[in-house]
Amino acid sequence: MEIVRQIKYKPARVAGGYTDRLLKIDLGSREIAVEKLAPDFKDKYTGGRGYALKAIWDGTTGDTRYDSPENILVMASGPLGNEPGFPGTGKFIVGTISPMTGTFIDSNVGGHFGPLLKLAGFDALAVTGISKEEVVILIDGDARTIAIAAAPQYDKETDDGALSFGDRLLKDINDGQYSDCLAAVSAGKGALHARYGLIHSLYYDIRRRRIRAKQAGRGGTGTVMRAKGLKSIVVRSSLSKANGNNPVDKKGVRAAGRAMKQVINKADPTQLHLSAWGTTILSEYMDKFHIFPVDNYQYGQSPDSAKLFAHVFLDNYFSKRIPDGCYYGCNLACAKGAENVELTRGPAAGRKVSIDGPEYETVGAVACMGIFDPQYVMEYNWYCDQYGIDVISTGVTIAFFMECFERGYLSVDDTGYELKFGSIAAADRCLHETAGGRGFGKIAGQGVARGKKWVAKKYAARNKASQDEVIAELNKFGMEVKGLEFSMYITKESLAQQGGYGLALKGPQHDEAWLIFIDQVYQELPTLEDKAAALKWFPLIRTWFNATGLCKLHWIDVRNPEAAATDEPSKNLPTLAHYIDYLNATTGSRKSLQDILDDSERLYILQKLINLRQGKGTRASDQIPLRAMAPAFFNEYQSRAEYYDLWLGQNGGVKKLPASPKQRHKLLIERRKRDYQQLCDAVYEKKGFTPEGIPGREIVARFGLLDEKAKRLLDEMGD
Amino acid sequence: MIEFLGTQRTLAGADSIEMPIITRSRVDDVLEYVRNKYPQLKLDKDTALVVVNQQLASRDQVLKADDIISFLPFISGG
Repeated sequence: MEIVRQIKYKPARVAGGYTDRLLKIDLGSREIAVEKLAPDFKDKYTGGRGYALKAIWDGTTGDTRYDSPENILVMASGPLGNEPGFPGTGKFIVGTISPMTGTFIDSNVGGHFGPLLKLAGFDALAVTGISKEEVVILIDGDARTIAIAAAPQYDKETDDGALSFGDRLLKDINDGQYSDCLAAVSAGKGALHARYGLIHSLYYDIRRRRIRAKQAGRGGTGTVMRAKGLKSIVVRSSLSKANGNNPVDKKGVRAAGRAMKQVINKADPTQLHLSAWGTTILSEYMDKFHIFPVDNYQYGQSPDSAKLFAHVFLDNYFSKRIPDGCYYGCNLACAKGAENVELTRGPAAGRKVSIDGPEYETVGAVACMGIFDPQYVMEYNWYCDQYGIDVISTGVTIAFFMECFERGYLSVDDTGYELKFGSIAAADRCLHETAGGRGFGKIAGQGVARGKKWVAKKYAARNKASQDEVIAELNKFGMEVKGLEFSMYITKESLAQQGGYGLALKGPQHDEAWLIFIDQVYQELPTLEDKAAALKWFPLIRTWFNATGLCKLHWIDVRNPEAAATDEPSKNLPTLAHYIDYLNATTGSRKSLQDILDDSERLYILQKLINLRQGKGTRASDQIPLRAMAPAFFNEYQSRAEYYDLWLGQNGGVKKLPASPKQRHKLLIERRKRDYQQLCDAVYEKKGFTPEGIPGREIVARFGLLDEKAKRLLDEMGD
Repeated sequence: MIEFLGTQRTLAGADSIEMPIITRSRVDDVLEYVRNKYPQLKLDKDTALVVVNQQLASRDQVLKADDIISFLPFISGG
């Protein structure tokens, strides 16, 4: 491998979860620098998302675009991200300016990269600049070297694939052997052509004896990586992963970990049982409650949905009896996988491959295209991974164009083929063309927000119509906010989750707030005040998980039996107490739940400032498509007319229903639009924002964020 | 009808069962019936979430003959 730049360094030792070192690499100038962080930096920004936000706030401007040299690709774990004694560690954050939204995006991902980066001496890695030639970065904590090397060239098929290139590289640089002392991130060919390219976190699974992949899937982080000319980063450390955070109080960590593992062992088998089924178990529950995003989120159920329920994947694909945690010590072990699946379509047809997944989101994305074939789910999963594109944005974008086609906004002249719901052939063709930047795939690779403009221009020219009027129609069912496609849940019947998506700072991804069942099914948020309070509390606690290097599922999807006796069972506070014990034992702090919520609020406000600076921070950017709040078209209303009519009487304040169904549909839309605006008002007030969604100056100051840039920004915003 | 979802279906070995509804049967009665018939479901009598016709039901809700009853795990999103 041709090394183009290399430095020697002395890896800093982890102490209390931190090394206080940031690795900065400029691929343009090929400078490599190890920066010592100020002692109070961690107190203010915690880790993970916090470190990424601070880097982006300081190092980029409102003019920075995803492919600007100064854009920063940050990868950061947190102080709790490496402890096999506590379940659900190993997570790290990839943060950057997104090709989709133009503002900060971060995506959390499991695997071994974050822990090994920490053991190699770094709390975070920040990559800037653009390399003229394709390169890889090698961080070797054992050899004490950091290098930029020319990307090796194997063969075209291997080189193009995000999975295959990373896999080969991991073996190649370790004398042809896999090892769990190495991990990598990689981006593939799809990221060169689509805005929603992803980054894989690749690690060696000693049980399956192969490289496995988890994904930082949302928002185009892989597209940023490839725009920088970077194909992969490999990190190596042979230091022991046991006590990897080097906690201040080892006994305290062990006690907290034991308590958490007991909760998981006792409660998960009687609840979702993620350890056996993975997240595919969610499909059935979503379908049952009209939340499964069938045909571009038109219908929440389908008679065919059962073909995609968990037992189908468990019986036919998943390898059973293999504990599948994505990091050591996880007893929730939801990262399911399949071996020797024969591909029947696409350029690799006939090959037998290993597949990591599917997760619920992949199943939902395929149902979103109106397809209910489990074999296609597996193949879609593998191809998206190998190309390195986000399963969610890919599926939602194709589904949007399918609906455009079916509603007459697109024709074969535009797409080159019949692009209809339920057509595996059409979906598959669009997938491969997108990854290859060919044909209609060039348009599909731009995502829904840009796709709407393209369709409107075409349709308006052909029909001598107003582009604005066409856009207004497309906005009803183009499922994106801030430029990011919705993840795979229908929100029409949960006002709280409409806010969970619309007000999410990164765009409609559920890791900021997922309130559908709490609101729609469990009915724990009956008032606007309850919903607004939840839309403040849940994003803050979820931010903390993204800052500390932890998986959220153990807290949020396994209800501690003791929570039933608390005032707010959905917050699962008895489990959170174990997390706080783990934090304090690791870092030596004495923090309370309120303290960590305050730490998270600082990060939340900083992210809001970045959104304001990038033009995505005001009320206008929090508006959601009509379909996210109501049946956008009459066919959707008709599919549940009885339910909607009942809703108008019970929740919509309508004493006498209009005589005609079309009038009732119109009235329903009016009520739902009104409710969403009232929700925005209530949430902004709860968060201390103006009615335009701008944080008050005193809040920004309270969290120590009112620097000169923030002052100027708020001046410009009229605050 | 009592409907089994997800893991429950595997543990119970059935998609659904019928339970004879006698006059003024309540949700609590159904829960007790299923707990006795399928102890392997481990439905906690204090914390189980019971849904009748897709609406969360209180334990003393009186049931009708054509009600569809199911038991939910806690789902709070990934």
